[in-house]
Parts: sequence; C-alpha cells; structure tokens
Amino acid sequence: MAIQAASGLGSEALQESAEAIVERALEQGVVAEVEASVGLTVNSFARFADSGPTQSAERARLDVSLLVRVERDGRLHQAGASGQSLEVDDVDALMQRAISIAEVSPPLEAPVTLGGPVELGGITIAKHRGAVDPDTISHDPAAKAEAIARAVAACADAGVAPAGLFDTTGKARALANSSGRSVRSESSRASFALTATELHPLGLGGAGWAECIRARVGDLDVDGVIARAIQKSAPGVERGKVEPGEYTVVLEPAAVSAMLLFAAYYGFGAKEVEEQSSFLCGRIGEQLFPKELGIRDRWNHPMYPTAGFDGEGTPKKPVPLLQNGALVGPVTDRRYAQRLTGSADASTGHGFAQPTSTGPGTTCLSVDAGDQTMEQLVGGVERGLLVTQFHYTNVIDPREMLLTGMTRNGLFLIEDGQVVRPLKNLRFTESLLKALGNVRAIGSELEISGALFDGEVIAPPLAIDNFRFTSATDF
Amino acid sequence: MSQSMQHAREAVQAAESAGADYADARFVELELEELRLHNGALEGARAQAERGLGLRVLVDGAWGFASAAGDEPGAPAELARRAVGSARALAAARTGPIELSPDDLQSGEYRTPVVEDPFALSYADKVDLMVEADKGMQGREEIVSRNVDLGLRRERQWFFATGEVEQFQELVRSGGGIAATAAIGGVVERRSYPAAFGGDSSAAGFEFVRSLDLAQHGTRVRDEAIELCKAPVCEAGERDLLLMGNQLMLQIHESVGHPNELDRVFGHEVDLAGASFATTEKLGEFRYGSDIVNLVADSTAEGGLDTRGWDDDGVASGRWHVVKDGIFQGYHTSREWSHRIGESQSRATNRAEGWYNPPIIRITNLSLMPGTWTLDDMIADTEDGVLCDTVKMWSIDQRRLNFQFTTELGWEIKNGKKHRMVRKPTYQGNTPDFWRSCDAICDEHHWRLWGLSNCGKGNPMQVAEMSHGCSPARFRKQTFVV
Repeated sequence: MAIQAASGLGSEALQESAEAIVERALEQGVVAEVEASVGLTVNSFARFADSGPTQSAERARLDVSLLVRVERDGRLHQAGASGQSLEVDDVDALMQRAISIAEVSPPLEAPVTLGGPVELGGITIAKHRGAVDPDTISHDPAAKAEAIARAVAACADAGVAPAGLFDTTGKARALANSSGRSVRSESSRASFALTATELHPLGLGGAGWAECIRARVGDLDVDGVIARAIQKSAPGVERGKVEPGEYTVVLEPAAVSAMLLFAAYYGFGAKEVEEQSSFLCGRIGEQLFPKELGIRDRWNHPMYPTAGFDGEGTPKKPVPLLQNGALVGPVTDRRYAQRLTGSADASTGHGFAQPTSTGPGTTCLSVDAGDQTMEQLVGGVERGLLVTQFHYTNVIDPREMLLTGMTRNGLFLIEDGQVVRPLKNLRFTESLLKALGNVRAIGSELEISGALFDGEVIAPPLAIDNFRFTSATDF
Repeated sequence: MSQSMQHAREAVQAAESAGADYADARFVELELEELRLHNGALEGARAQAERGLGLRVLVDGAWGFASAAGDEPGAPAELARRAVGSARALAAARTGPIELSPDDLQSGEYRTPVVEDPFALSYADKVDLMVEADKGMQGREEIVSRNVDLGLRRERQWFFATGEVEQFQELVRSGGGIAATAAIGGVVERRSYPAAFGGDSSAAGFEFVRSLDLAQHGTRVRDEAIELCKAPVCEAGERDLLLMGNQLMLQIHESVGHPNELDRVFGHEVDLAGASFATTEKLGEFRYGSDIVNLVADSTAEGGLDTRGWDDDGVASGRWHVVKDGIFQGYHTSREWSHRIGESQSRATNRAEGWYNPPIIRITNLSLMPGTWTLDDMIADTEDGVLCDTVKMWSIDQRRLNFQFTTELGWEIKNGKKHRMVRKPTYQGNTPDFWRSCDAICDEHHWRLWGLSNCGKGNPMQVAEMSHGCSPARFRKQTFVV
C-alpha cells in the first residue's frame, strides 16, 4: 500500500501524505508527538560552454522527513529521519529509525510544543503560496537549447567564450504534525546565466557575467543577459591595474548579494545572538547606518515570492532587519521565540526543519530600492570602482562581519562619473557593517542574485565610500 | 544479477533501444547518520536513507541525463525516454560531438574495508560516546557553544554501462569531531579537534571514530578557545608560515586540487566554480613548487574518502603525480576530457553526488608527500614565523591564484621557540609563489590523511568527498594581513 503517490507538483497530495504519516505514527502508540514534511522538487537544467550544451538533467526528487518525540519517565526525547519514499514499508522504516535514536537521546531540557493550526484572521489556512508556473515546470530541453544556441552564436560573433546555465525548477512542500498543523506551498524558479570570457592563450582575458532569476520562465530576459555579459567582458579592451586601497565603489546587485548572504548565514538569527557570535550583539538600535537603507526578510516580495512557511510550518513574517538607520532584533524559530518571549507561537517563521542544531535564519533577504539610476550612481563618483560580482566571499570574523572575496566578471574604473576602462581583479577585506554604514546612494533597479554558496538576495546597486581592497591579481 | 543491477541494466538497454550510442546507469542507495550534540542536547539527530536511479546517455554527440528516486518498475523506461529526448534536443545546439576515451571498462566489486560496521553499532553506544566527548568541554562559563559531531555514511552503487559492464561498490565513511566556542568581552573564538566543521572522516568503519579519542581532547579544546579570546590578533607583516596538517590539507585542496580539474582548465566550470591558471601548455614544464614538493593523486589510498574501485565513468581507480619534484605533471580527467590533452585513458575522477546528479570531474585523494623534518626541528629552525592550526576561513580567486586563509589558532615562533598564542592569523598569497617557498616538510611520522567532506563544484552545485594527506610544512616569507 502506498500512503500517497505524489504526482505532478500537487501540493494537496503531498499534504495528504504528510497528514497520513502523522496519523500512522500516532496509531502505533510509541510516538508522543510527530511532525512530517514532504517535499517534491522537479528540476530541468542545461549547462553550456563553447561547444554548446555540455551537461543536462531532467530529474525529480521526493524528500520525506520526520521529527518524532517519545516519552520516557515523563520526559520527551526527540530525533529525526529523512528518506525519499512514501511507500508504507519505507515510511515505517523511517519512523523506526527516528524512534530508535530518540529513545537513546538525552531528554529535552525545555521542550517546545509543536506548532498548532495556522490561522489568519480567525480562519485556519493551509496553503501559503499560489500554484507553480506551469510553463516553468514544463520548460523542456528543446526550449533551453534554443536559448543556448543564441548565446553561443552571440559569443562567437563577439569573439568571447560562453559558459552558462539554463535552469527551471518547481517545488512543492507540505508539513503536518500531531498538534493539528497542516500547511502546504508551491513555488517555481527559472534562471538563465552567461559568463563570457575573452579568448586568450593563457586564459588571462577579461570576463563578463549576467544572470536573470525569476519565478516564471516567461519573465526571463535571456537576450538581455546575453548582451550584458558580452558587454561586461569588454573584448579587445586592455585591462588596467589599480593598487589595492580604499575606493568608493558601486556594487552591482550580485556583489551586494554575495556580502549580505553572510549576514544571513551568520548573524540575523537568535541563536547567534544568544551565543554572542552575531554582529547584532551590542548594535541593535544603534544609529550606525544611513536612514535610507532598508533591509528586510520578505518571503512575499512581489518580484520573487517563495514558500510562505518555514521548516516548522510557521508562516513567515516579513520582518525589518535594518530600518531607520539601525539594526533590528533577530529572527526566531519556535525554540528561540519561547526563550526570548516566553511564547513559541511568537516565532517570526524563520526556523529550519527540526531537529537541528542550526538556529533560525533569514532566507529571503531584500534591500529596499532607492531612487538613483545606475548612471546617477556612477555619475556621483569622482574616482572609484564599479564591481559586477564577488567570488568566493567568506567570513573572517562573524561578530564584526569581516569578509573577504575577489572581484569577478567585470571590475571597472570610474573617473569623473564615467566608467572609463576594465580593470584586473582585486581582493577585498572589509566589514559588511562598515560598508553598509558608508552607503552613499542606493539604486532604484532591483535584481535577484545568488553567490557561490546557497541563497539569493533581492537588492539594488549600492554606492559605498571607503571600501577596502587588500590585494590584486594579474588577470 | 541483483534487482538493483537489473534496474540499472533495464535503463541502459531502454536507452540503447531508443538510439543512445552509449549509456550508463547508477542505482544508488545511501544511508546517512548525522548526529550533533550541542551544549549537551542531541539537537542534530538525523538518519537519512535514499535510493534512486540516474541514467546518462550519449546521443548524437550530446549528453542527456535523467534521474528519479525509488525503484518503481516503469522508471528505467521513463528515464530512458527523458534522457534520450533531452540529449537529442540539446545535440542540435552543439558545435561538435562529445567523444569518450577508449578506456577498457571491467566488471567487478569493491567494498571499503571495515573493521566495525558503524550501522551495526547501537544508537545508544554512539550517543554514549558523544556524551563522554562533551564532558571535557564543560565547566567553564566562557564557553557558549559545545558541539560533538558524528557522521556515518554508507553508499551502495550498482553501475551498469553499455558493453554489459557491471560494477558494484559499497563505500563506507565514518568521522567525528568536537568544537568549543568561547566568548569574552565581545571576542568570540572557536577551537576544534581534530579538524574544523564536523571533524575528520575516513573511508573506514567506526574504528576510525574510536581512534580519534575525542573525549581526551575536550578540556584542551575548551581551554584553548578561552585562551584564544584573550590572545592578541596576529599582526600583519612578512613572516615564515608553518602549517599544521589540518590547515595544509585545505591549501592542497584549493590551490592544487581545483586548478588541476581539466574541465575547469577548458572553461567549462567558469559559470560558477571558476577556471584555472594551470593551463595545458604548462604541463610537464611549469614550476609549481619547490624541489621538495611532490603531490600525488591516489584514488586507491587506504582510508581516502574518494578511495573506490571505479569512478562514475566506470574507469578503474589509479595513482599519479600531479606535481613531481616541484614540476606540474598531470591533471584530473574523465573519459570525456582525457583526449583533450592527448591521453588515451581517463584518470578516473568523474563523480556524481548520489543518484540525482550527472558526474563531473572531482578532485580525488590528493596528498603532499612527506619530507624529512620533525616538527620540533622545523620550529627550532624558524627565527620569525607563525604556526597556523585548523581551518577557520578560506577564499581563493576564480583562477586559483590569489588566496586568503584564516586559521583558528596561531603560535608566534621567535628564535626557534613558540612565543605566544595569537588569534585570527590570516595569510594571503599567490599559489605558485606559495608552493615555491616551501622549504621544509615533516616526515612520514607526522603524515596522515585528512578527510574533506564538503567540496562544492558544478552548477547546480554538487558536494563531494575526498582526502588530502600531508605532514606539517614551512613556507618562507608569507604575507600576513589584518
């Protein structure tokens, strides 16, 4: 007997499956509390390079995870298990694994109740996001091949080598638990990215990059990406060199994203604050930043709505993180909401699937748009640098948000308000907090960007004074 | 033939019937236990099990790949339809066909040698070991976070390829570690044992975890974290750099391993992971390091996280010099890439993360061969240096030249003696200059393999595991930054 065979992206079916798993766990009489999450990911991608498409996949994965709590001597013990099947035997085996670990784990010192039914205005709601875009999840390799062929041909015409990715993904997820919570969501994502590299016998040529990420494949500007990446690569133009030091910079959205993601990984969550490693420690409420700069976690951003509940099934609250020139308090999950406010139900909806030692965190960062066009941002710089993207950014000191990384795919010199020439790359070593404090102007055009590691940020370009570069490269 | 191998075979045969010139299928079963004791509570307690089938086809000179979880009877035919259809559609946009080297694929079986099956051990025994390991880190209020990690993994793979090639592999990996984080007056520092980010792991059974003797190191780790918070920040300037193995292994990984992947060299990973400075005209001539630098890739090394019978092309594992006596000698390749440098056989480094992903070239076990020094002699021979211990932060440019690393702890060396502890030692350099400055490598008594379990590459990104062996080494006149 299959508990539920999921088909398509139907989140209703996933929700029924999650509820059936909870029911089955409780029927067995061993488990005191249980939470089940069922997710379906349908992904199609094609990578490409100078020879055209190089790699592709058409794939689907089902992810089933369980949190179980068992009672021993009046105390709760918990553990989790995850698998990829909704067949009864497999679900039973999954449950048994989780129970076996829970039975030998140390008791929970301060157990937090599982979340109850989700209500909005007194009405119990289940669904937290509209249906996926059907065109995105049915986008096929032939359509991808057509876009890739355009990119390869345009790069050949410009004398640069292409490399890129066309990716379309649909996700559905449902969560149910023994406290009566039952929620589901669906979302889709499409992206097209191109890196154009100047042909050079020793690989020392310049490179340009552009990417477009949207919730619907029909909203992708593929030709715009191709044109921007080639233009950024500046074929045939000799790259200048500037010495490391402090510069006024205009960071394009991808560079802003690469830095801000580290704030998401390391500091906006309540666990890092409690353990004193967060940059929020001692800074909440301090007037350290321009009043015009706004950063928030916003799952329902109109440009890119994502799943509306967190790993515990709690509806995500859009929360300000930096407003009116100051950092605001951390985001929470049920455990940290309990610790900070005495009520787990006060969670801001930023938890991950339990059990986990990972604390709550932001996953939908966005920076508010300003009022400056890119021309105005650059036009306001007497001598500085335009940065397309950072590569391999990493954190040296999370408390100070001291980061380092390399410029990549388009570093340009700005003189007298004009972009004058491409440059060889530089390494920055700079505090994100200092950089945000030195924001002098905010762009009006928002873009969705990721970086080398997980996550995406919606951000405008930012002009920042006194940004520190510490070493250089020969390419 | 097992049911799992039959499943893989059906997929390959269906693909061949649909017109594939070549096909291989991997049916993969994965069991994973990741346990984390955080401040005494088992917060990360997760057992994962998955199985699925990935089918790769070559049609009209283009790759297609399709994968699905489970082992439903209709899956092989459906995957073949999708993979072949995908390859056909993409072939139209290729400028030339993909060709494979003529490696002779052999059928066989391979199993990681295991003394103590980690999945046969009771959860109670594992949790008891973790609780014991935590005890030494307790008792000081400056410690804000204590972690004990245990990671156990068993991957079974049934590989079937065109030509009736059948390969079965069972790979077992075990590891663990401890870490304590102290906070004093706004300074927060972490110490880990035996390595950062979950500790160390090996292709072995639970005997490897026991050999780490985690409980014996808790108190030292705790006290060093506290001491670090009170230590001065390592000063900027030019000094000799002495690297312990749990840092040097990442230096090998980032500045030798990644630039040695041939797909990167040809620009096929530029879209995310980056390219390589180690371009093909340098092969056999380029001075990568000093004369004493010998770096050997070895997917047969005992205990290596990438020690296996065959890669995901089905090519048998092997051993070769990447750098010999300081000179650049060889690349990591696959059947798709080896002929691009005139080699008729692949180095067998094409690997996929599980059943869900298509394979790409990955670093295998890559090690710096031991030298002749003892650590005591190396320190005694250093006038002005910093001994850096345990990875904290790493960053390297897209061609793998300009790097910057920070370690958890540094010891200033003055006139041949450990002078004082420093925190946040951060050094910055250039890959060939760095390896050319190597003038002392400790001997085989200091040498060991270090497991690296979080290597990201590809787009969409895949995670792979490998090991890097080394003993402590010295690099003259490196640049420390603040």
